[in-house]
Formats: sequence, C-alpha cells, structure tokens
Amino acid sequence: MAAGLVLGFDDSAGSRAALAVAVDLAVRLGEPLCIAFAAQPPTLVGEESRAHGDALEELGDRLLAEARRTAEEAGAEVATQVARERSVELLTRLADERDARFIVVGSYGESPLRGAILGSTPHKLLHFSERPVLAVPAR
Amino acid sequence: MPETPDPTTPAASEHGLKANAIGFVDALVIGLASTAPAYSLAAVIGIVVVIAGVQAPAVLLASFVPMFFIAAAFYYMNRADQDCGTTFSWVTRALGPWPGWMGGWAICTTGILVVGSLADVAARYFYVLIGADGAADSKAAVTVLAVAIIALMTLICVLGTDLSARLQNWLIGAQVGALLLFAAVAIWKVVAGDAPEGSLDPSLSWLNPLEIESISVLVAGLLTGVFIYWGWESAVNLTEEVEDSATAPGKAAVISTVILLVTYVAVAIAVVAFAGLERIAEFEDDDAIFSSLAGDVLGSPLDQLVVLAVLTSALASTQTTILPASRTTLSMARAKALPGALGRVHHRYLTPDVSTWVIGALAALWYAVVNSLSENFLFDTLSALSLMIAFYYSLSGVACVVYYRHQLLKSVKNFLFIGAAPGAGALILAYLLVKSVIDLADPEASYSGSSVLGIGVPLFIGAAFLALGAIIMVAWYFAGPKGYFERRPFEAVPPELASGHVAPAPTLQEGG
Repeated sequence: MAAGLVLGFDDSAGSRAALAVAVDLAVRLGEPLCIAFAAQPPTLVGEESRAHGDALEELGDRLLAEARRTAEEAGAEVATQVARERSVELLTRLADERDARFIVVGSYGESPLRGAILGSTPHKLLHFSERPVLAVPAR
Repeated sequence: MPETPDPTTPAASEHGLKANAIGFVDALVIGLASTAPAYSLAAVIGIVVVIAGVQAPAVLLASFVPMFFIAAAFYYMNRADQDCGTTFSWVTRALGPWPGWMGGWAICTTGILVVGSLADVAARYFYVLIGADGAADSKAAVTVLAVAIIALMTLICVLGTDLSARLQNWLIGAQVGALLLFAAVAIWKVVAGDAPEGSLDPSLSWLNPLEIESISVLVAGLLTGVFIYWGWESAVNLTEEVEDSATAPGKAAVISTVILLVTYVAVAIAVVAFAGLERIAEFEDDDAIFSSLAGDVLGSPLDQLVVLAVLTSALASTQTTILPASRTTLSMARAKALPGALGRVHHRYLTPDVSTWVIGALAALWYAVVNSLSENFLFDTLSALSLMIAFYYSLSGVACVVYYRHQLLKSVKNFLFIGAAPGAGALILAYLLVKSVIDLADPEASYSGSSVLGIGVPLFIGAAFLALGAIIMVAWYFAGPKGYFERRPFEAVPPELASGHVAPAPTLQEGG
C-alpha cells in the first residue's frame, strides 16, 4: 500500500506554500515526507558541468536544511534528497522508489507562455507522473 | 553533502555524465550547431576571400587541422575533469594557478568579444530581412538593435531555457540546407555561364593549401579558421552521453564534421567563383558580401533563406558563446579565483545569473564603445578573438600533455591521441599566435589598417585584455581569499581514470 509524500522544494513562494500543505498532510497521515531539490544544470547536453552542479547542490542542501527544520518542528518524519537530475525525473523516481501516496509541488502562477518557455514542473508532472499530483499555488 | 536517511535512494550527488542522454540526431545537431556555420561564414567569408583570394577554400580546409588536434586535448581532459570551467580548471591542475587563471580569463574575454559581433551580424541581417537596407548601413541603427539583442540573449541565458535546444534541430537543418542551396546554385550558374561578368571557373587547385601565396596569408587565414571551427570540440566531447555510445557518437561526430567541412568549402568556392576576385575586393565592408551575393545568386525571395539562416544562426549560437564564459566565471568564483558573488546560482532558473549578467553587460559596453570608435569592428574583433582562442586552446593542449604525462608511453594510441595530437595542436596555435602578433603589430599589414598606439587594432585589443587580466589576477592574489593561488602545479591524471576503467572521480578537490 502506497504511503508517504514526496515534495519538490526550491524556496519559491509556491513551494513554500506546498511545504506547509505537505507537512500538514504528512503529520495528519502519520507518514514520512521526502523533500527533494533537483540540481541538474539547465543547459544543452554535452557540456562540462561540475562546478555548476556543485553550486546547485550547495544551494539545494541549504534550502532543504531549512525546509527540514520547518517540517520537523511541526512533527513530521522527514527525509531530504538533492540530486543532479531534472525535477520531473527526480520527483517521479523518488515517488516510485518510496511507493509514495502522492507528489506535492508548488506552482508559480505563471502564464502558460512563460511556463512553456521556462519549463513548468507541475505541468509536466501532471502528464508524466503515474501517481497523483497535488499542485499548491503561491499565496 | 545532503542528508540521505533513506537507504533505498542512491547517493544524493550524482556526478559524471548521464548515460543514454541523447540520440544520434541530437549528437549530429550539436556537432553542427556548436560552430554556428551560417553565422561563422557570414562573419568571415569576406575577410578570408579578401586575404586569400581563390585559395580561400584551401585556407578553410587547412585551418581545420589545428582544431582537430586540440579537440583531442578537450576530449581527454574532459574525460578526466568535467568541470564547467574547462580550460581554467584543466590548466590550473596541470600548469598551476597563474596560467590557469589566465586561461580562464581568456575564455571570459572571448565571450565578451564574440557576443558583440554575433549581435552585430544579427542586427544587420535582421534589417536586410525586413528590407530596411538603409538601417542595415547605418552604424547607429545597427548598434542600437545589436545592444538590444545582447540584452535579450543574456536574458535567455539567465533563464536557462532549453527552447532553443529543441528548436535547434530544425534550425540547423534549415541553415545547412540554405547554405548548400546557395553554394549549389552559385556554382551551377558559373558552370552554365549565367554568372555575372568576372566570375571564375572553379578549380581543384583552390583546395590545395600548398598554393597559398605566402606564409603570412596562410597564418592570417588560419587564424580566421580558428574562429569558424571554435566550439567544434564540444561535438567530440559528447561521446559518453550518447545512446549506444560505442558507435553512435563517433559516427555523429564524423558525419557532422564532414557536413561542416563540405559546407564551408562549398560556400567558399561558390563565393569566389560567382563573384570573382575584382568584385570581392570591392567588399571592404566584409559581412555584407554574403547577403549581397545571395540576392544575385538565388534571386528574390529565395535569397531571404540565406539571410534568415545567418540571422537564426547568430541568435541560436547564444548558448554556445555566452554560456562558456559565464560558466567559466562560475567555476573560477567557486575555486576562489574570482569574487564569490560570481559563483551564485539563481533559485528559480538554476543558472549562474550574476556571472551571466556581468558577461552580458561587459559585452554590450565593449561593443557599443568599440563599434563607435573602430572603422571595422567585425574584423578587429574577430582577429582579437582568434588570438584569445589560440591562446587558451594552446594552453589546453599543453595541459593535456602535462596532465597525462605518465600515461603517454603506455600505448601507441595514448602517445598519438593524448600526446602527439594535443602537443602538435598547441604548437601550431602557439606559432599562429606569435606570427600573427608580429604581423598585426604593423597596422599597415593588417586588413583594417587602423591602429592604436602604433600597433594594429586587433593586437591592441588582445594585448590590452591580457594585460588587464594580469593586473586583475595580481590584485586578486593580494586582495582575495587564500586557497586558489596556493594550489600546486603538475597534478597528474589518476592512472585508473586514464585507462578508462572508472567514471571520473566525483571530487578531484582543489588544493594540493
């Protein structure tokens, strides 16, 4: 039986709202929450990326440490994951590995055009995830 | 390191290249797009034919040789150390912090120099495309639009969008198609006798580098060639990322290279044959020759295809020009070789936004100031740019030989591909650098003829940027945090990595 939640977190307003919702749900369900940050440098393939990826991993570590504190203070059981993968791949992979109940992400509230240019994680997740997705708008 | 309490998930930090990332077509496209053939041709074809006359195709062919050698250095260094600082990171390891810093600085400089010329070509061709020929001839109109284009291109890099990566597949096909169409029709018209007076029948001897009239002409031509193949090494670096990596990437790299060479040579032959030397000599304003000839060869409205190809090529090569510079500054900042702020990555876009904006702003400033002063911005910039590229390519070649020094005698293949080829590439480029510095020192001998402080403008630009870099480097040595300049030179590749049995080490840490 699926259990637990996977949350994508990048410290945007939407993902902070998603964190609050995910923590609340994880505590109510009494199930673990896995918070993830995707640290894949967004560039063309075929280019060297070490220092860039390292910088992103440091950023992710810092952001997730804060998120973890928030979640633990609320009494949730928390795991964190920073990985050099694209966000959609990371979230669906984690959800599958953990057999998660659903995936939680924040939405930016951007126009569809802007989303299409920048790449919208919630939008892609809705299409590619085989599990339920909860998209939380920024307040 | 992030905390990973869950034992089922792999190590949080996945370094190294992702296997099975891209397919054959993508590898082919990247191989072609990395050099932006349509833009490169538009920028240099006038210069090359004015310098080398009917031997222009031979010059373009010959200039591939040093590039081919240096690509071996990039391939093997990238295998050992996939840092986004490339030359900066590699030269620092092999030759120590001071040469490494200058190598990184040279990459940043090329970014600053090339963006202006990209935008300049894009602006001119945009005006030609919409039929505003007056604006295309007006320096002010071109400058204003070009600065706007620089701002837009920088923004695109900051956003980190991969829209252009997807579009690239279509754009690059259209570009190469338009160029080959132009070349085929031009040569056909010459052979059929439909070309205007003064045209020349193509001859096989045009391809023979030995018939180039003098060493100085060859050197000037080769230096230009360094520019048109600039970026080609990234086609070779794809090898480990491609599906079916034993054969597909090799094939993709070979085919894209053949297409590239055929396109360059065919267009050069077409331009020389169709226009003839007298008409070419009239084109002092170099990048106009391509759009002008396209009109004569293809007629309206087909000629717009070539104009559109050049325009999209210039715009699409944004990512292959600004990115290496901004990622080098990112890498330098993280190695404490530059202020830490340049190492910042944006939360939302995951790109090095500060260093990208800095590069874009410097490029715009540089372009606006120099374009208003220089009589022939494009030529002066491209020559200076080629000097910088030759400088850091040459350093990379030496770094490869030094870094792999314990491996060179282990097999004939090692000796040839890791030792001889990068070494030869470094020597050729170092010779080009020295010879063209001597040639360019005499303003009369240089193409544009303008001079600053008694030396040719391209050399002045190159020398001034290197001197500025040296000053900043020394200032940072005294003012910056400890760590970078204490690093020891002459690191060597770990033997198990050189033999290709393990993935590159995740953290080849800085510091001795």
